[in-house]
Amino acid sequence: MDYSLDLGAVTRNFGPLLEGLWVTIQLTLAANVIGLVLGFVIALLVMSRVALIRVPATAFVEFFRCTPAIVQIVWFFYCVPMLFNIYLGSMTMGIVALGLNLAAFNGEAYRAAIQSVPREHRDAAVALGLSPLQSTLHIILPTAFRLAIPVLLTNGIVIFQQSALVAIVAVPDLMYEAKSLATKTYRPIETFTIVALVYFAVSFPISQLVGWLERRRSVAMA
Amino acid sequence: MELDFSIVLRFADALAYGLWLTIRLTLICIITGGALGFLLALARRSKNRLLRGASTVYVEFFRGTPVLIQLFWIFFCLPIILGVELSSFVSGVIALTLYTAAITSETFRSSLGTVSREQIDACVALGLPARVQVTSVVLPQALLRAMPTLLSNTISLFKESSLVSAVGMADLMFVGQNISNNTARPVEMLTAVALIYFAVAFPLTRAVSVLEGRILRKLAA
Repeated sequence: MDYSLDLGAVTRNFGPLLEGLWVTIQLTLAANVIGLVLGFVIALLVMSRVALIRVPATAFVEFFRCTPAIVQIVWFFYCVPMLFNIYLGSMTMGIVALGLNLAAFNGEAYRAAIQSVPREHRDAAVALGLSPLQSTLHIILPTAFRLAIPVLLTNGIVIFQQSALVAIVAVPDLMYEAKSLATKTYRPIETFTIVALVYFAVSFPISQLVGWLERRRSVAMA
Repeated sequence: MELDFSIVLRFADALAYGLWLTIRLTLICIITGGALGFLLALARRSKNRLLRGASTVYVEFFRGTPVLIQLFWIFFCLPIILGVELSSFVSGVIALTLYTAAITSETFRSSLGTVSREQIDACVALGLPARVQVTSVVLPQALLRAMPTLLSNTISLFKESSLVSAVGMADLMFVGQNISNNTARPVEMLTAVALIYFAVAFPLTRAVSVLEGRILRKLAA
């Protein structure tokens, strides 16, 4: 191979990469806020006894789970402005698209967790005369949230990685900066390797944390 | 604006061509990636520390980075390193195989864990060589238990394969986006593409649930 490695090409251009990483982190955090809140609401809607509520909510979840994230993002960027005549700025669009995707996946995580909240807890809430809203907020949500944490965290990391897709619609995230740096400097090996390591350095500690939480739980359950 | 979905039908052939590439990629890579994933799962349970460490790093790395950057790496860096031109189909297959291997190895790892210790002891008692032990005792059981998750992995791969459109492979996503750009009809075309992906993936997710129930009942019996 007559290609000599030159890490300088990347280290001299660390500024744009750091800005890109910051955009990626903002996208991830904001999408997670939407995903955590909206996901819980969706889980409740999916479990509703009223078919008129349950069916659209289920369709939402299945649709986001059964189509590629890249299709959702491109669809969002091209079609929402045309259909509804609104344009929100590429950052906001990216956040909403990723957030809705995450909400569908988190909805399933919450649903599994809510279904494993012991029946007795709900009976106790009724016996104490709590209103449905009170028992949802004070009994079901805290327990379900705790049970769902490992899956919610895993989904959060997945969205961190999926956020690289917004580079395709020209949001200047880490992936986008990597692509333009690789093109500008003709240093694809150095750039893509270092950027891959940056992604890894963020997601690996969180996935280790998930593993630790799960081991701790299985010990606590035993 | 006025929507005219009949435009989708005019491009049915092109979309079918794209879908066919997507399906071929998915099928090839689930087989090659699954095979590599099984070997990786064995390596992760090996007594050899070097083998265990290397396979763990591999799996964590491919699970911890975006598939998009893995694709870019294979497309732009691998030809420079190897010094040979790779066709885009070959590059796509390599990238998705490596990624799928990391995902399926986790599936196999948990299903290998359910093959009980006694069965391995029995193999030793019968004097079976290690290779026969793997191919005739461990693999069939691990494969059966891993089936529903493997099918889920296949559905994920079917969706993830749409990323190859970003490096210019004419899969379903690429064809759809291309037509939508050229006809200025993104709403109709992109919606159609999303619905096609959905129409393939959704029935498969239902099949996974059915299969899961069957296998659980079979194993319980």
